[in-house]
Amino acid sequence: MSVIEQLVSGLGMPNFVILIPEIIILLTAFTVFILELFTKNRKVISSISILGLVASGGFILVIMLGILKLILTPITLKEASSNPFYSFIINNFLENFVTLYGLYVVDLFSLVFKLFLVVGTIFVFIHLRPYLEAKQTYYAEFYYLILFSLVGMFIMVSSPNLISFYIGLELMSVSLYVLIGLYRKDYKSKEGAYKYLIIGGTGTAIVSYAIALLYGRTGTFDFKEIAQSIITLESVDVGLIGGLVLLLVGLALKASAVPFHHWAPDAYQGATTPITAFLAVPAKIATYAIILRIVVEAFPSLTETWGFAWALFAAASMILGNLVALRQRNVKRMLAYSSIAHTGYIVAALAAPTGMGFAALAFYSIVYLFMGAGAFLLLASLEKNKGWNNTLDDFKGLAKREPIIALLMLIFMFSLLGIPPTVGFIGKLGVFLALIGYEVWWLAVVLVITSIVSAGYYLKVVANMYMYEPSNNSKINVSLVEKLSLGVLAILVLILGIYPTQIWTLTTTISSLLMAGVGR
Amino acid sequence: MSVEFVKADIPWITITILLPLVAAAVLMFLNERFAKPVSIAVSTIIFIISSYMLLTYDPSSYKIQFYEKYEWIPWLGVSYEVGVDALSLTLYWLTALSFLVAFIWSTNINKRVKEYFVAFLILEAGSLGVFVAWDLVFFYIFWEAILIPMFLIIGVWGYAERIYAATKFFIYTFFGSLFLLIGVIGLYVATYFQTGELSTSYFSLINTHLPFTLEIIFFLLLALGFAIKVPMWPFHTWLPDAHVQAPTAGSVILAAVLLKMGTYGFVRFSLPWFPEASKYFVPVMFTLGVIAIIYTAMMAIAQTHIKRLIAYSSVSHMGFVTIGTFALNDFGVNGAIITMISHGLTSAALFLAAGFIYERTHTYEMSKLGGMAKFVPVFAVLFMISAMASVGLPGLSGFVGEFLSLLGTFKVSILTATLAGLSLIVGAAYTLWLYRKTMFEEELLDEERLHKWKQLKDVSTSEFLSFLPLVIFMFVIGIYPTWWVNLIQKTTEAILFKIRLLGG
Repeated sequence: MSVIEQLVSGLGMPNFVILIPEIIILLTAFTVFILELFTKNRKVISSISILGLVASGGFILVIMLGILKLILTPITLKEASSNPFYSFIINNFLENFVTLYGLYVVDLFSLVFKLFLVVGTIFVFIHLRPYLEAKQTYYAEFYYLILFSLVGMFIMVSSPNLISFYIGLELMSVSLYVLIGLYRKDYKSKEGAYKYLIIGGTGTAIVSYAIALLYGRTGTFDFKEIAQSIITLESVDVGLIGGLVLLLVGLALKASAVPFHHWAPDAYQGATTPITAFLAVPAKIATYAIILRIVVEAFPSLTETWGFAWALFAAASMILGNLVALRQRNVKRMLAYSSIAHTGYIVAALAAPTGMGFAALAFYSIVYLFMGAGAFLLLASLEKNKGWNNTLDDFKGLAKREPIIALLMLIFMFSLLGIPPTVGFIGKLGVFLALIGYEVWWLAVVLVITSIVSAGYYLKVVANMYMYEPSNNSKINVSLVEKLSLGVLAILVLILGIYPTQIWTLTTTISSLLMAGVGR
Repeated sequence: MSVEFVKADIPWITITILLPLVAAAVLMFLNERFAKPVSIAVSTIIFIISSYMLLTYDPSSYKIQFYEKYEWIPWLGVSYEVGVDALSLTLYWLTALSFLVAFIWSTNINKRVKEYFVAFLILEAGSLGVFVAWDLVFFYIFWEAILIPMFLIIGVWGYAERIYAATKFFIYTFFGSLFLLIGVIGLYVATYFQTGELSTSYFSLINTHLPFTLEIIFFLLLALGFAIKVPMWPFHTWLPDAHVQAPTAGSVILAAVLLKMGTYGFVRFSLPWFPEASKYFVPVMFTLGVIAIIYTAMMAIAQTHIKRLIAYSSVSHMGFVTIGTFALNDFGVNGAIITMISHGLTSAALFLAAGFIYERTHTYEMSKLGGMAKFVPVFAVLFMISAMASVGLPGLSGFVGEFLSLLGTFKVSILTATLAGLSLIVGAAYTLWLYRKTMFEEELLDEERLHKWKQLKDVSTSEFLSFLPLVIFMFVIGIYPTWWVNLIQKTTEAILFKIRLLGG
């Protein structure tokens, strides 16, 4: 009997139903992988990829809404189980949601993040094809590598266990190394990929060492069991501290928090711009999600220390990211630093390890999807045009040459800056509420001051677009599809800025469920 | 203190906030020739609604009228809550009036016409919202949202140094508002710890009893936000730049509406929320107010640029509002509120006058002007009335407010009142100086200018129409101030209620 057969006969069949979204994406990835050998038709490959994502995302959405309905409305179990849809959800997602023998968990927390990861990736795909066509390159590798990377992120946000976390992290990172370097015509692409490979590899090594140390001290990989065993430990020793510190460093490196951020600007600038969007948004959101899960599930007794460590990372990222961004002339690189600063804003919420803080973190990372992806993908659309190098000079007079694109960029810039009525403000408001509610005044003040600094560079982009005459008047080509997709993102930014209630409800629910340990 | 609410039968306030936004959205898709008529129509409707509210407001007791409230984010205790008391209402009405004037004036804009009116419409929605929002999250959203259109208005339609001025304006006010935000959140959290009620409503936050030190901290955080917006000395340096570079209509809105937000903040939030801290900071506020009045009046005398002069005079007038507010008695606060309205009217009119001059002579430099009165007589009269109202000539609006402010201050600090009163003379000096240098001294004109002035056109219909309401209301307030004082009396008492309780 093989190992698998032994497992199945001993422990029973794992619940594969809850893995359907992952399975769909994997199937899509393999389909693209094989199809690429036979066809060079970009449209087919791109549509299949998007279709797979839509199917997977739709499934997640339906399940998520079902779970929310069951949790938030007083609906008796009997009523619910008479309905086949609800009984399906109860059987699979409320009772049997840990699968693969305890290595994989599909709770509301992971579903919410998966949904937004899929949404972000769909937007990346929409912009990827026109971009590659304009650059006259063709690599189907982009499509299946992104899908594999996405599966890695899924595994990460669904991991209840250091080992599955590690596997997810690796699947994500290795695919990303290749993705960044894939645009072989460009020297910068190779440089960025190489840097990311070296530093990311170091990060992985650090994380694996951290896992080894934690396992050595606590005897388990499972987050919940680690939490149990830390409480029962009589003294804190080198093994535990070392493990913790290394884990922190590894995670900070993946989230590109200062002082472990050096790979980020080069990797972001080197990658083809749609990939930068993928790298800067979904990849980071997955990292924030796992940071949140680890702190709540594995180290609930150490949230203070953990929170303080992240507060330091946050302060450093905010200060350095914003100050350096101020000096950039290249908008893509500037946004790379701005993304480091946003890492700061987001993880700052961990300094207040309360339900409010976790909800704020989840909220900000989710809404960062719309504004961050919007800004980077907008650059991707512009970059297709000959002679466009993303410098501030290129942006001069954009409002005259392409008023709609300029307006969208304006919305994204003000949202990243955090001015109401955009959603960036609500994100910062949540972090403020958490920090001040927990009386972490110093970090709130750092956040305020660095936000003001950030006005310096976001306004520069807006000023260049609106207040200067164009330096050349050649026509800018942005296809209707791209405009529509960016428009959807911008409208989401505005609507969520005025009516964030639904997403707040969602993040508050997942943060309280996560803290209560319900769903595990 | 419990507050009574009178629910609105028809959601007038929400209509007036949404109308400009809808109009802006529609204009985006229309041809640009529709921009101006649509904007004027919208702002006229809003002005009529606000005047209707002003006339039907019941001033006999303190009630929040035209009140609307809807749940918004229940998890944070945020709701959409709007309504007016007399303070809100007068400034709300002033905002509606100023935008009407600004739109009528903006005939001769020919650069990106559509975007211009869209920006102004969004600005109008935000500005109206600031004065009527009672939920602090919404207040803050309106307060900050106006930065975006104003930044563009100065930066796109301004003069040579516009980008620098726009950025300076934005960063200055953004700086202040973020501290304001921290203060409000701090108070919100403190209220939650004290009462267990999660609410961002003004009426929940007002019931919090803070320890003295906390009150001081929150007062300072809020005051920083407001003081930059007022602007109070020494935070005023963004204002002259912004005014000089802004287009005429932008200056009008900046002076008539945006500056009032700061003083509104002091009266509305600082006084009722932090009575002890307000009392404690009276000497500081008096000092800053007096410095603002005297120092900026001196600065104004030294200016040769028309708009810069008016900008400094604005800072000086806002000093009267500051000392009136912090006199912490009925006269002072009544005076402060009336000065706000009056300054809204006069500064708007003066900036229109500056715009008038610039459009005809293409210069703001006083040395290059002079002797125009004879050639543009109607304008000269309108300008004269505005200047006199600004100086504080009895019978016009400026006098009432400043007199009451001084009276209130006199009861508290004779020195402050005297110093501020003396500077009225300086105020008269620079305003008359401005008038003489531009309108009179015909005998000093050289041939070239004389020739040019002879071809000057007097005010056009649209220019006259934009001056007219301002001038009328200068007289209305000046001749019959009792109506206005009666209107705001109960509100002033409600604002000072907690301070009265402290005694002393």
